[in-house]
Amino acid sequence: MRNTMKVAKWEIKRNLKNKSFLIGLFLTPVLFLGFMFFGSLFGDSEDGAETTQVYVNDRLGVFETLEETAETSELNWNMKTTDVQENNVQTELKSSENTAYIFLDKRALDDGVIPVYTSEEIASDFMNQVQILSNPVKLMQMQQLGLSDKELAAVSMTIQFEETTSDEMAASDEAKTTSGNGGLFSGDPFERAVPGAFAGIILLSIVVSGMYIFQSASNEKKDKIAEIILSSITPGELMQGKIMGYFGLGMIQAAVFLAFAIPISIWQLDNVQILEYLFVPELILMVAIAILGYFLFAALFVGVGATMADMSSAGNFQGMVMMLPFLPFIFIGPVISDPSGLVAQVGTYIPFTTPGVLLMRLVVMEEWPWSEIIIALAILVVSIWILMKLAGKIFKTGILMYGKNATPAEIWKWIRS
Amino acid sequence: METMLTVEKLNKSFKDKQVIRDISFDVRKGEIMAVLGPNGAGKSTTIRNIMGIMYPDAGAISFRGHAEIPRHKIGYLPEERGLYKNVKVMDILLYLSELKDYPLKKARERALSYLKKFGLEGQANSSVEELSKGMGQKVQFISSIIHEPELLILDEPFSGLDPVSQELFKHEIRHLAENGTAILLSSHQMNLVEEMCDRLFMMHNGERIIYGNMDDVKERYANFKCTVRGKSDLDVLQGLPDLERVEQDEDTSVLYLAKDVQAVNWLKNLPDNLSVQELSIDRISLHEIFIDIATDGNIAQREGVTHA
Repeated sequence: MRNTMKVAKWEIKRNLKNKSFLIGLFLTPVLFLGFMFFGSLFGDSEDGAETTQVYVNDRLGVFETLEETAETSELNWNMKTTDVQENNVQTELKSSENTAYIFLDKRALDDGVIPVYTSEEIASDFMNQVQILSNPVKLMQMQQLGLSDKELAAVSMTIQFEETTSDEMAASDEAKTTSGNGGLFSGDPFERAVPGAFAGIILLSIVVSGMYIFQSASNEKKDKIAEIILSSITPGELMQGKIMGYFGLGMIQAAVFLAFAIPISIWQLDNVQILEYLFVPELILMVAIAILGYFLFAALFVGVGATMADMSSAGNFQGMVMMLPFLPFIFIGPVISDPSGLVAQVGTYIPFTTPGVLLMRLVVMEEWPWSEIIIALAILVVSIWILMKLAGKIFKTGILMYGKNATPAEIWKWIRS
Repeated sequence: METMLTVEKLNKSFKDKQVIRDISFDVRKGEIMAVLGPNGAGKSTTIRNIMGIMYPDAGAISFRGHAEIPRHKIGYLPEERGLYKNVKVMDILLYLSELKDYPLKKARERALSYLKKFGLEGQANSSVEELSKGMGQKVQFISSIIHEPELLILDEPFSGLDPVSQELFKHEIRHLAENGTAILLSSHQMNLVEEMCDRLFMMHNGERIIYGNMDDVKERYANFKCTVRGKSDLDVLQGLPDLERVEQDEDTSVLYLAKDVQAVNWLKNLPDNLSVQELSIDRISLHEIFIDIATDGNIAQREGVTHA
């Protein structure tokens, strides 16, 4: 174990002194977050240009209520009262853009019709937005009819259909009897998405750094230093040291990533309490899944990496293995649309997709399928154990094989020996 | 002298091919022991088995009588050698000594003093990539001795070195042996080994050919040979007394003399009509014994195999 840690320390130190690693360390989160928020930044500036000028000719005295309603609904409006008559509206509108005139008079209360005149250019969803104003007008209409407050409350309340599937009923029963963790969160989607994204970043970072292992495993061979190293430590220690070292590097990458992501998220999504949602018990399970995912791929990469002469000569077989971490992307569509569906369940039980699919499901699902989670984790842990064993055998032989790539047949022979 | 390393009846096969067969020798404190043989003789395989990089099919290896090999007391310079590319010289030396559990502070001091000794002063913070091939080999050599090993194993230490560096290495290896380090080195460069090693183990096709003291081996195998330049009849030459064999190549004939022949007396046997452009008489060198073995020649095989 001591030798393992020496190797791990060395790998971390060596990479942190390497310029290209350092550049990648900072560039990855910048690019990733840059693309993520690029769209929303762009969208913001567009919205800012489309402030709609809304003039209200108010004969009913409800302007303040309307203004409040518009504000709480976050409509991008600039509201003003006006004395312009309906006959003159046409001339007023001709010379203006993004402008609307609303006439509130007896017609609204008697016929339920409110005339709105807009300029030729107007925000596309303006007519949808304007419907929000119907509520305060309706309220006034009913007040005029002389209803009591209680009657008013009953009438103005909208009727909603609330859906509960039998599945959810069972789950909520379960939740009540067990920890009660599951059923409590249903309102804000960010409540789950934040720890999910956090774990996702950790998974992404350490899997990416795990891919460095691919290169690193053949490094000793390429630099012909394998025998010098193996005269001091065993191949097993070297392999474990690499896995631990790149785990450390992955965590550093994740920390850098989060150091960018958290402040940017707080700034961009100012109505979401990121930090409050982040440090919840669910985070522990999600991060644990991400870390298990790392060990699975690290074992795979270190074993297969040791069969290559160097990175540039990777064969088809090695190339395919390298694509495995991206397998969960195939499942994104089906899992999001039906998180308890067959595809999602299958994805949960295939070790190579378990971490990705399970994380997606845990974010999307209201109630966590604990039995599935436990089975999936069990499969994952057993797979890691088996892969580590196999990787150890392959690594031991592969690291000393100079000059050529091993064929799958040769690898199979090493495993059996 | 205390025996540091004992190798007994080592056997190793790759697939169906037996690479080494019943190899036995020992290395003692303060001596330089050479394992010699042509390419593919099994030298590196023997050494890798000693280092635990491979495991023998049969046989035993012990260090000071213990079957457990204490890796941190052994220094190893493999035949296939290199260094991590994009790291600093000092970093890699300290890492390799750390793997041997050698104290950091002492390692740094020794690294600096050896770099100075090998003319690499001021290169401690250079990247390995910037070093020339010769400089790199010096750094590799330093890395194998930085932790003051009790046993130093050098696999082809001189291959690819220029004559100046060769002398430097030779001097340092001898110096280490004088200070009590047991040294096992393999080589196919006889002239280098001949003048520095105390004992030798010559192998061919995975088997022992000669094993013994340098002086004994020389006395036993290094008979006189007479080289004659000039046209001469093979039959006439073969009729000469005390000959082991004659090799003739165009105008040059080499007469291998039998053991214990008095050179001057023997010369008197040369017939008067022998055409001589040049004539020389000297001892067979280790180099020739080696070539002879490598080309499946006669000397050693006819002499029998053992001389311990």
